[in-house]
Parts: sequence; C-alpha cells; structure tokens
Amino acid sequence: MTARDDILGAIRAARATPARTAEAIAAEAASLLDAPETTRPGLAPAAGDLADAFARKAGALGTTIEHLPDIAAIPAALRRYLDTHGLPASLAVQPAAEFAGLDWGGVAIHRDLAPDEPAALGLALCGIAESGSLVVHSGPDAPVLLSFLPLHHIVVLRVDTLLPHLEDYAALMAKQASPRNAILITGPSGTTDIEGSYVRGAHGPGFLHVILTRSTD
Amino acid sequence: MSHPIPQPSFKARAEAALADRTLKLAIDRTTGTAEAKRAAAVAAFPEFDAARRRGRAIKDHVIAHLDHYLEQFERNATAAGAKVHWARTDAEARAIVTRICLDADAKLVTRAKSMLGEEIGLPHALADAGIERVETDLAEHIIQLAGEAPSHIIWPAMHRTREQVAELFRAGHQPPPAAEDPATMVQSARRALRAKFLGADIGISGANFLVADTGATCTVTNEGNAELTTTPPRIHIVTAGIEKIVPSTAHAFALLRLLVRSATGGELTQYTTFHCGPKRPGDADGPEEMHIVLVDNGRTRMLGDEFREMLRCIRCGACMNHCVVYRQIGGHAYGGTYPGPMGSVLTPVLDGLAGSRDLPNACTLNGRCEEVCPVGIPLPTLLRAWRSRSWREGLEPGTLRAGLGVWAMLARRPALYRLASRIGVRALRLFGRGGWIARLPLAGGWTRYRDMPRPPGRTFMDQYRRTRAQKGGRR
Repeated sequence: MTARDDILGAIRAARATPARTAEAIAAEAASLLDAPETTRPGLAPAAGDLADAFARKAGALGTTIEHLPDIAAIPAALRRYLDTHGLPASLAVQPAAEFAGLDWGGVAIHRDLAPDEPAALGLALCGIAESGSLVVHSGPDAPVLLSFLPLHHIVVLRVDTLLPHLEDYAALMAKQASPRNAILITGPSGTTDIEGSYVRGAHGPGFLHVILTRSTD
Repeated sequence: MSHPIPQPSFKARAEAALADRTLKLAIDRTTGTAEAKRAAAVAAFPEFDAARRRGRAIKDHVIAHLDHYLEQFERNATAAGAKVHWARTDAEARAIVTRICLDADAKLVTRAKSMLGEEIGLPHALADAGIERVETDLAEHIIQLAGEAPSHIIWPAMHRTREQVAELFRAGHQPPPAAEDPATMVQSARRALRAKFLGADIGISGANFLVADTGATCTVTNEGNAELTTTPPRIHIVTAGIEKIVPSTAHAFALLRLLVRSATGGELTQYTTFHCGPKRPGDADGPEEMHIVLVDNGRTRMLGDEFREMLRCIRCGACMNHCVVYRQIGGHAYGGTYPGPMGSVLTPVLDGLAGSRDLPNACTLNGRCEEVCPVGIPLPTLLRAWRSRSWREGLEPGTLRAGLGVWAMLARRPALYRLASRIGVRALRLFGRGGWIARLPLAGGWTRYRDMPRPPGRTFMDQYRRTRAQKGGRR
C-alpha cells in the first residue's frame, strides 16, 4: 500500500455514511456560498463609487492614492513621487504593453530588478473595493518580484477594473486558467513580530502608492 | 515522535515560566494588543457571527468529503505541473522533503513560516542533512538566532522583548542594528535576509489553504517573505496538512475573512498569494519545480474519534491570545508544537496522551477559547474528552484517583457530604486574614501565586436553607 492509498483508505474507513456522488458534493459546496452579502462586510460608502470605497480602505492601511485622468499623465506624477521621497530619477518598470509608449521624460527606466531596488512601477489586473486590495497575476510581462523587491511599489490601477467584493474576483478567476501566482496586495509590507508593534517594510515594500486612472489610453 | 515532550515535566516548565517576569511582560505586550485588535475587527464586522457559521459549515463539508477533495486537488495540481507527494507520518514527510533537497544538491534553503513544518520537525531534518536553512519570517528569524522553538502560532517570538531581540540582532547581524526600536531592527533584518532570498536553491512554504478546483496552494503573510521565498529558487516545496483543503477560491475567501480578523485584527493580510504549479513557459520569474507534500500525521485518526471537530482549526491563534493559562505561562511551557487551548487538544494526538496528559488539565474551562474560535471548535469539550480518556486509560496518578475515590464516596452520601463540608469551611476560616487566605497547608501550589477567598462561616446548603426559611416566613 502506498501512503496515498493508506491515507485515502483511512478517510473512507472513518466515514459513517455512504460516499456521495461528485455532483451532490459540488451542489452542497455551491450552496455553502449562497447569499454572500450576509457574511461579508458592506462597502463604505454603501452605494457610492467603487473608487471611493477602494481609496478609503486602501488609505486606512497606509497605501497612498493619487488620481490621474489617464496613463499619459503617469511619468510626470512619478517624477513628483520620486522627488518627494528623495529618490533618484530611476525606476524599474513592469514590461507591460500599457507602459510601452510612454514618454518618461527625465526618469531613467529599466527592466531588471536590483536586490535593493528603490522603486518599481507595476500594473494591477484589478482592484477589490471591500478590502482595498490590488490584484497582480504573474506572467511573461509580470514578474512576481516586481511587487516584492522594491522599497517603493507604485501600482497603476484602472478604475474600470475595480470589483466590489472578494467573491467577484473569485468568479473572475474561475473563468480563466490560473496563473502561477495570483497575488492580492493589501497595503504595504508590515510586521508586528516584535512586541506586537507595527512596523512597515519588513521584507516587501515599505511604501505602496496607487495611481488610479480612468483609462489606460 | 519529532517532538517528544521535553524534560522536565509540564509542572516544572510552568513554574519556571511563572517565575520569569520578563516573559510575562513580553506575553502581555503582544497578547494585549492582539485581543484589542481582534475585538475591534469583530465589532466593525456585524456579519461576523453569520460568517463564522458559514466558515464552520465549509470546514465540516470538507472534512466529510476529504477523500474526494484531496483527489480533486491532486488531479488539478498535477495538471498545473506540480508534483504531489503523500506522507502518512511526520517521518515520511521529513524524508520526502530531505530527499528532494538532496537530489537537487541544495546547499541553501529559505523557509516561510509554517506550523506544519514545525510539527513534522523539518528544521532539524534539514540540519541533519547538512542543508543551511534560513527562516525568513521575522519572528522565525528571531527564534532561529536564539536557537528556540516557536512559542505562538502567529507570533512565534512572542516570548522575546524588544531588548532581547536587539541583543540577538547585535550578535547575529553584520553590521549590527544601530538602535533598539522595532523599526530599526526590522530594517536590519531586511538587509540581513535579502541576499539569502535571492541565493537560495529551494524555498519551502506551508499552505493556509489547498484549493481543490484549481490545484493551487495559498499563503498569507504580512511581510511579503513567502513570495520572496517561493519565487527566486529553482524549486518550491509546500508542506501542508490534509485538512487545509477548500473546494474553491471563493470558499478560501470566506475563511480568510475569519482567519485574518481572528489572528491579527486585520481584514486581509498584506499578501494573499495563490501558487498554482511551477513557472509557466515564458514567465518572467518563478520556480521550475513545485512539490506539494500532503501530510496526514494523525489527522485521519481524528476523523474517526471525538476530536474530529479539531480538524476545523484554521490556525488563527485567537484561542491562545484569550487563554488565561497561556497568558501566564506562554507557549514553551506547553512543550508541543502547538501551544494554548488548540495545542492542548492537538499535542496528545501528535505526541501521545501519556506524555502530555497535564495539558488538558492545565485549563480553567472558562470557555473563552470557544467563544472566540472563528470556526466554533468546542475546545473545552475536547479538553474534557482528553481528561476522560486519561482517566479511562489509567494515566492519572494514584493520589488523584484515591482523592477522587474519597470524594465520590462522600458525594453519594448527602448527609455525610454536608457534614464534611461544614467541617471543611470552618477549618478553612482558621487560615484566613481579612477576606483572604494567603497560605494553606497542602495547597501551596495555589496560594503561592494567588490568595484564596476566605469562605463564609456556613456552607452553601446551610445558607440556602436559612434564606428559604426567611423568605417563607415573610410570605
């Protein structure tokens, strides 16, 4: 007997009632998700704009938010951000098509991430208003480490990709093939491991800056 | 057993912990904050009770169909390119992980905190195989420098004050941190671990959830150390208990809302990441191999006995933060991988009741753990079940059995029992000063740490009879 057979056998031996069909199990699993509004927090403001709800949640976690009309306004905003934080005019940029045609002005951009990369720019797949989370999927044009190595993580989030709740993102995920990594980013990296006191920038970014744009044109 | 109950006895460890004032200070600082933050998070989530019922129903559903979901998970994880391994015991799990490391000729392994990894004794196994292991969670890094085991499942270094952490970092970091405040020390750890993340051959993580319908594993961290552990190395190994299965991503989210609020008082951890198979063709980064080790280690045994409900546990740590005993003695005194109320239920499963029968007894049954448990595990009931089993198996000492025999003899003879009680309360009054008894022969274990209230001159039954007679007179 393999370990697998033994474990599955022990599970079956402990069962008091006969095994059910896969369809019956799936139906029960689906019913366990009925009426999701009864077991999740409401949005604040309740019936308002998703961007408002997102910004409130994310802001409360220490994420800074900036509203821009379109993606063309990003380079100027980045120069201001780098200046404000006393960072060199240099930036690691995600190799996303959306960023390809931008005029970076005086900011030197690069693809390769240094182990102690000061600042990086990425694009969120979508955002979740309930929790103020950004969603990033790994892929050929989306390195995972771009969200973790830099000290300053700057993320562009299109307002039209905002979803109200975690379930809405799960439904989106269910319709497509899973990436290697699907990552929900909810505020800058932090730790409470020393006496429970909260400190930012434990291993991941100590600063999370979200640029909300109305479109990527 | 990977974690034989260390000598000396539980009582000796608890006494040593009680005598350690620094330990008490450290525990109070973190558990106090945790309790307040959890209360605020629950107050801000009026749907918490309904969410808790849903969470419990999801876990019960999975436990009832564990074989179905494990097979589905295996199919989907395999289809995504991961290799799934099965381990009946902690020893099998250690052997599987060590074999993967040795076959890959790994010199340096980074690890993101996983209590299952501690349960199966992975840190020692890697050391025995001559592999350098670097713990990347800040608290695990602290206790690795101290050469200790975790004392809490969420804050493994809870027993260490900031001053003690500073001492460890001054000795362990090059250059040493310039100051003792937590912010400076966190920066120091960030610098010290950066090169390790990028230089590791293998990254090992646990899993908070195994998602059956995608084959993904899910990690949650606040630091971002899990992704830095699982992305750069060539191989990612996941070790997870078989009870971590959920049907789908949506079910995982329903449980995450409970887990994070109960653990840290947040709504979601900063990083919630699903890992589905190795790097895809063309991916910018990620491991070339992903191995998932599904570990039983006593869990299928729990399915068939009175501890089945314990399989609902999502490892939030709320029960220990709210436990009056844990908050006095800390996690190390328990002697097992898992401390506090949930640990006192699990340790006898993992390490045997004979060596751990004191743990279910080290409980006041005040019920706070069950009140705060996000999946409604009746912890006091399960602890009482261990007490009964310990009695049935004859593990309780002779003095206790004899004492209970005398009490049972009296309890079956009401007149004699009342007489004995009357003598007892009058005798106890002789030791009291003011309203309290500070010293009591044969009960030094009690009065050394707290005073006992001086009883009134009459037994409850005498007072009851008198009150009833007075009321009856008035009527």
